[in-house]
Amino acid sequence: MKTVVKTCSLAILIMLGFSITASAQAGRKADKDTKTWRYEIEGVGIGTQGTYLVKVWSYSKKPDVALDQAKKNAVHGIVFKGFSGRPGMPGQRALASNPFVEQERADFFKKFFADRGPYMKFVYESGDGSVAAEDRMKVAKEYKIGVIVSVNVAALRQYLEDEGVIKGLASGF
Amino acid sequence: MKNGIKIIFIIALSILSGNTGFSQAKKPTLMVVPSDVWCTKNGYMADFDNQGTKFKIPDYKKAFQENSDLLLAVSKINELMAERGFPLKNLESSLKSLQDQAAEDAMLTSKSGADINETPIDVLKKVARADIWIQMTWTVNQTGPKKSITFVLQGLDAYTDKQVAGASGTGTPSFTAEFPVLLEEAVISHIDNFNAQLVKHFDDLFANGREVILRIKTFSSFSGDLESEYGGEELGTIIEDWLAANTVQGRFGTTDATESMMLFEQVRIPLYDANGRAVDARSWARGLQKMLKDKYQIDSKLMMKGLGQAQLVIGEK
Repeated sequence: MKTVVKTCSLAILIMLGFSITASAQAGRKADKDTKTWRYEIEGVGIGTQGTYLVKVWSYSKKPDVALDQAKKNAVHGIVFKGFSGRPGMPGQRALASNPFVEQERADFFKKFFADRGPYMKFVYESGDGSVAAEDRMKVAKEYKIGVIVSVNVAALRQYLEDEGVIKGLASGF
Repeated sequence: MKNGIKIIFIIALSILSGNTGFSQAKKPTLMVVPSDVWCTKNGYMADFDNQGTKFKIPDYKKAFQENSDLLLAVSKINELMAERGFPLKNLESSLKSLQDQAAEDAMLTSKSGADINETPIDVLKKVARADIWIQMTWTVNQTGPKKSITFVLQGLDAYTDKQVAGASGTGTPSFTAEFPVLLEEAVISHIDNFNAQLVKHFDDLFANGREVILRIKTFSSFSGDLESEYGGEELGTIIEDWLAANTVQGRFGTTDATESMMLFEQVRIPLYDANGRAVDARSWARGLQKMLKDKYQIDSKLMMKGLGQAQLVIGEK
């Protein structure tokens, strides 16, 4: 009897370990995707003053990871990539005009984009967090999930200016 | 005790040198102004008779007094720019200040009854000024019950006449939204792209110097002209040599040159002089004026237009 309990416990522990490892791996993979620009970002509407409303498409084998990564990708996209518009709504340029700033300030961005890092202060999920059926796609072995998020770009810009990462409009004068 | 005094002295010295050793570049003034197209479409043009030739000029005062949409758009742009740490000069207030100043000047006399000195040039220069004009235009498009706004923002350098920033587009047609809401949306959606281009323009200014225009003219009382030789060199060449030596990487273009006038455009002047003081077109051209006086005993009169245009009239003060 004792041996059976031991074996079961060991099996559960191993399964739990695998699950955590798989989840962590998926998270690391999602972070790598963010760094290699493997996400898509598009404007969906004019937000309130000082905010951008964007839809971010993220990839992962686990839908939950893709959902979580959407916020990080949205901020990453607004800082480094900018996004295209659609008829009636102009796209926006990236906040960082220096294309090398990500490498030059690698330490800052490592902390900024860490899990639950400071980037979280500037991004909100729009709606109740549910994903529309047409925004959840299975592409090959992974999911491509589209989430609409709102980014407080005025506060984000101010933060990056205060940290000396990007230049303000009046800097130098 | 001695050490304490030394420390205090060093701290005071470092604060003092920090204050005087570095000065910031002169900040350009920006002002939002409705475009001539908008003023014409909305009936805010006034007739102006310039010695028999009739012109139409925008009547900004009337526009601000009568059009609340204009006030909303200007106020929104001013608000968003102030948030970015770059407050704008307000056209309506500038016009009021000019009016008040004119009334005050007309009444001002000394104890002996003397009036204020004012040359015809002074009178001509009494207009609202900015270094960069943000020219704004919007038109309302209507298709059946749907309304949309086409919005255009242009940042125009007042001296070089170049467009240094711009943003334009047509908003999403709406059945229900009220016009001021559509206008506000248009401003909000375009201002960031406009500012991104403005930042690029300022970056270029810091990297390559301020772009200015220099005009050289001669008074009829001047005994020579720009082709007269001084020490074996023509005066015009002496001026060009001075420009080559005193511009950023010798960058300037001689657009026009005759015996009586020269026009230099795309002149890149440094933002700071050798002492670290901020420079504008006038303080930079003062160097040329001084060189002509010290080396060749030629008097000249130096006039300015904002940060970016200087005019040197050779012959006398």
